[in-house]
Amino acid sequence: MYVPEPISKLIEGFMRLPGIGPKTAGRLAFFVLSMEEEDVLDLAKALVRAKRDLRTCSVCGNITDQDPCYICTDQKRDRSVICVVQDTKDLMAMERTREYNGLYHVLHGAISPIEGIGPDELKIPDLLKRLSDDTVQELILATNPNIEGEATAMYLSKLVKPFGLKVTRIAHGLPVGGDLEYADEVTLTKALEGRREI
Amino acid sequence: MRVESLELKQYRNIAQLELACPEELHLFVGPNAQGKTNILESFYVLALGKSHRTRSHKELIRFGEHRATLKAKVKKDEQLLRLEVQLSEKGKKVSRNGVEQPKLSRYIGSLPAVLFAPEDLAIVKGSPQIRRRFLDMEIGQVSPAYVHNLTQLGKLLSQRNSLLKQLAQKRVYQSELLEVLDDQLIQLSVHIWKKRYRFLDSLSEWAKKIHWAITQDKEELAVEYLPSVAISPRMEDGDLAESLRGELKRLREKELMRGTTLIGPHRDDLRLLANGLDLHTFGSQGQQRTAALSLKLAEIELIYQETGHYPILLLDDVLSELDDSRKTHLLEAIRGRVQTFVTTTGLDGIDAETLTRARIYQVRQGTIQEQG
Repeated sequence: MYVPEPISKLIEGFMRLPGIGPKTAGRLAFFVLSMEEEDVLDLAKALVRAKRDLRTCSVCGNITDQDPCYICTDQKRDRSVICVVQDTKDLMAMERTREYNGLYHVLHGAISPIEGIGPDELKIPDLLKRLSDDTVQELILATNPNIEGEATAMYLSKLVKPFGLKVTRIAHGLPVGGDLEYADEVTLTKALEGRREI
Repeated sequence: MRVESLELKQYRNIAQLELACPEELHLFVGPNAQGKTNILESFYVLALGKSHRTRSHKELIRFGEHRATLKAKVKKDEQLLRLEVQLSEKGKKVSRNGVEQPKLSRYIGSLPAVLFAPEDLAIVKGSPQIRRRFLDMEIGQVSPAYVHNLTQLGKLLSQRNSLLKQLAQKRVYQSELLEVLDDQLIQLSVHIWKKRYRFLDSLSEWAKKIHWAITQDKEELAVEYLPSVAISPRMEDGDLAESLRGELKRLREKELMRGTTLIGPHRDDLRLLANGLDLHTFGSQGQQRTAALSLKLAEIELIYQETGHYPILLLDDVLSELDDSRKTHLLEAIRGRVQTFVTTTGLDGIDAETLTRARIYQVRQGTIQEQG
């Protein structure tokens, strides 16, 4: 069957995206044909700009269009706390809380020897550089609560010991607003282990 | 726990079967390759959502058909449970009282079952891996946290082994990172050891009693944990951790050379002793089989202890392997408490009194007939 080249190229392009197979790609491609030219141009520009204008912040590793990023340059933020996360997505999740007013450091992954990711592959040297002056008083380790994230947190806490800061690990256990009876047994066990006095 | 009825459709070599299970003891009798074990297996599938003989549920669907259905009515206390397992090419669905259960883990436990099949001889005779699996499966049935820790241990070990190899080839230099993974290994190991010791404590107690009964007070069975590290059941968490930490330090060079984690719960073993003799090495076939059976029967008591309900017992072709007196003692040991389903090629050697209280079915080429 003959498919005009612009369409087949568009379909191929969509198929490179995660979670999109040939059928969805075809549907998206034909939808683009039916869109207003203006909207298509906007979309194309947005794609190019996202790629060209965004970079990682040279201070914290966040994705940004200005360097340093808006969080690092925001003078209203508490500069004595740094929250360490694995990914930019985690940073965004923390930001959504609107409760945290400190700075961040994005590692871009977690330690995983199987995948060949050691401390040097992550933004750990950059973090140590940020700790060298006395501004930072506390480091919050907010890596994921799995083997790799836990190893990363433990490694970091050992590494920064000489700096003499307060190092904390975010709690894990029950989700807020959930009923005890719906929590799975493992989460409950962990929550029980991490109980605290009130 | 009682199964009141069983219904099978297009399952293995059985086109359709409806079976009432009014008695405590049910015997399925017939020559080999007629479908006796298939019936027993179907109880197991209803209990655990999977077969003990194959990983592929498609094998359970009758040849040339697209869908198999297994149903059972189960009486738990005064409550009636309807269990159903649907197998198709697309997958497997389990439901309880007509409500589909999206998570198998929520379904399991509706009908606790203990199976004893000829393959179980490997618990005594086979490799340490088989004994560890036996232990892990049994503890897992009553502790989800244990299963979680085991999975975590598996992941951690592959990370640690990978790091050991990289360190040995000098591709990375972070020996501090190895210490972090050691800490994680120690944490998980302590959890797993404590659970295993606690479980073995009650298991060995029960197994010993049952073994006495089956062997008519001739053999004393002991179950011992053989750790890969110098630890003992009475140690506190801290001491367990220190033992492992010390050993890991001592073995550092060797581990780097071999590129693998040489000690930990994944390298431990069990030892079964009858009158002080190691059954793995010195036991006769019959002794080994009886010991494996005692362990399985002990499991019944443990499940009762943990859940307050006796499981059903499935005995696949084990009677023929036992001498007449052991046979009688086995059936006597479970009498009055545990509903039991047995496959056998013949009824020889089963005493008349047992036969009168049992329901006997003849199995021929996938069909079943009650023997009057």
